[in-house]
Amino acid sequence: MRRGLISWSREEVPALVLERRVARLQNRMRDAGLGAMLVYTSFARPSAVAWLTHFVPYWNEALLVIFPTETPVLLAAFSKRVHDWIRSVSHLGEVRSAPDLGRAAAAFLKERSPEPARIGVMELDALPWSVAEAMAKPGSGAELVDATGVFASVRQPADESEVLLARRAAEIAARALDAVPATARRTSEVLSALDASARLDGAEEVLTRLASDLRADSTLRRFEGEAPLGERYGVELSVAYKAAWVRVTRCFSRNAAPRSWELAARWFAETASRLDEKSVSAGPGALPPPGKLASWIVETCTGSQPLSIFAGDRLTPRQALPAGALASLSLSLQLSLDDGPWLGGGPLVIGASGRPSLLLI
Amino acid sequence: MNGSTDALAGERRARLAVAMSGEGIDVLVVAGNAWRSDYLRFVAGVTVVEGQAFALIEREKPARLIIESAAEAARFRVEQPGLAVSWEPSPIEATENAIRALGAKRIALAPSAAVPYRLAMGPLGSGIARATATLDRLMLRKSPAEIRAFRRAAALADEGYAVFREAARVGRPEYALVADVEAFFRSRGCPENFQILGAGGKEVRGMHPPTERRLTPGDLVTTELTPCVDGYYAQICRTLVLGQPSEAQKRAFTVYNEALERGIAAVRTGATAGDVARAQNEVFRRHGLADYVTSEYTRVRGHGLGLYVDGRPALLEDVDLVLESDMTLIVHPNTYHPEVGYFVHGDSVRVTSDGCEVLTRTPRELFSVPIA
Repeated sequence: MRRGLISWSREEVPALVLERRVARLQNRMRDAGLGAMLVYTSFARPSAVAWLTHFVPYWNEALLVIFPTETPVLLAAFSKRVHDWIRSVSHLGEVRSAPDLGRAAAAFLKERSPEPARIGVMELDALPWSVAEAMAKPGSGAELVDATGVFASVRQPADESEVLLARRAAEIAARALDAVPATARRTSEVLSALDASARLDGAEEVLTRLASDLRADSTLRRFEGEAPLGERYGVELSVAYKAAWVRVTRCFSRNAAPRSWELAARWFAETASRLDEKSVSAGPGALPPPGKLASWIVETCTGSQPLSIFAGDRLTPRQALPAGALASLSLSLQLSLDDGPWLGGGPLVIGASGRPSLLLI
Repeated sequence: MNGSTDALAGERRARLAVAMSGEGIDVLVVAGNAWRSDYLRFVAGVTVVEGQAFALIEREKPARLIIESAAEAARFRVEQPGLAVSWEPSPIEATENAIRALGAKRIALAPSAAVPYRLAMGPLGSGIARATATLDRLMLRKSPAEIRAFRRAAALADEGYAVFREAARVGRPEYALVADVEAFFRSRGCPENFQILGAGGKEVRGMHPPTERRLTPGDLVTTELTPCVDGYYAQICRTLVLGQPSEAQKRAFTVYNEALERGIAAVRTGATAGDVARAQNEVFRRHGLADYVTSEYTRVRGHGLGLYVDGRPALLEDVDLVLESDMTLIVHPNTYHPEVGYFVHGDSVRVTSDGCEVLTRTPRELFSVPIA
């Protein structure tokens, strides 16, 4: 559940920016012959609705209804008492109470589109059955079609506002990692320091995975309870700031860090900056690594999830990022060095062909 | 997994196997994500924080887990060595294929809140409601190991509220209060907490995630705080005042405190969820506050607790679910008060044969935080 700062600064994300995003989607909807489009949101899948309206649910569910020419309407399964709060943190035409979200959506679509219409649903396959059932019933008057591609076609590149939010998220993450006590002996000390720093810095959410003893196992884990830290450990910190997510991975050593870590960090920065729109699908192959490259992934946001794998050592992308795209990406690498594994990762903005990417951390 | 988590998983799996046998289910396919991870936690012992996940549970066989996030798959392989974990970038399609490969076995899908459209539109869609109800029944009454986890969560909620009281100081932004509480919970090995709050006066009509608003003298500061231990959530609701409470705030407190006491007194095996809600609402009606127990001003008078922060049953007057021993609840007459604004007050309890055990230890009082 989200419990960090959720607020909307009109300076950081002007209403006009959100309206432009919606207008781009509406253009594509018209091209696709859609009478309306539905975009589902919960705190597990908040990113598409947040990108269009700046609304992030702290719990519960909602459906954003977008018509080809009007301001989006939010059908919210929240208590009516929080509608004022919803309006204060987002840019919406109308907020409607919808305790039974699916039934409310079916009724609303019937009211607004009395003639049978093609209704595009972003990520239709994944729509929860509790929401979809009422709309999927025969005679509901709507033909549901998958519109994942329609949304994805306008989602990237990132605009200036989104890059600024991602940069702020990266700064929050960097300061949180700097706040980890050098003397930490338990996972709980690290987790507590990260949460305190990031949330006091305005993070909307903080997710942390730890490899508590790098010499024994480099798997990044979520800790319930606590465990002792090895002399070397790794931290993957994911931070959201106003719905912009970044993922940063850093290794820690209680004693002097091995020299190979410095080489690895330098290689990481150099390799990441060389990823451009053409090479990003193939990953970090431009420069020989200072050890064995065990695994890598590049993540981006094209739908409802904050970060999804775009490419990796075990995944070839089905489509490219758009030409000339600026995208906020996260990249994780695992290097096996002579003196043990090293984990690294950080957000970057992918440059156009032949131009360097911009590391945000 | 630690020892207590192992014990919990074993207990749950044994109860699940009996239920599946009784319902004639050979394979139970359970969907989940970060929003609805409770059912997955119950059947497979995992809490997903990113992406979708599906558990395929066959009686007497190791569970299989299909995971969308590569990072989540990697950690589950280490954290749950008894599970067969596979990373699938298209997990719905992979689960559909896995179901098809099961052939003629009797398969059920659950829960309706997480089963995706594509799987529900297939031949198994008609059985979702029944399988969900089966799991819901299993999750209502808690086993001894589950009660132990719930107790620890309730104790942690008390400690968390003490941290919140320390954090609530004039001039601090709301989000700083939550930061302090979260840092405390992480320091105690607690990975998850649900928390909302409100601060101000009569203009405050509910709670929400923290904003940038800074606390001012005289603010009524509400919070509901819900830490998680071994997957189980317990909750506390309390209200404090920055400075000395006004006479109106003191009067309001007596109403909410009486409602909480009456609600708790109504909790017993054989009572309904509606009885507990009615007992609380009658207090408000008697004080001329009948309007404020309607959906215009409040949501529920409490709810179930367990692997989900807002579980069954909802404590509402029209809910006729009969309480049984070892159900776990929060009783909270939280609502708007026309003289002072939104006010919260609630304790976590365990239903017993002749009443209930109150697990919240924080005193039931309107706390006053001195202004420096």
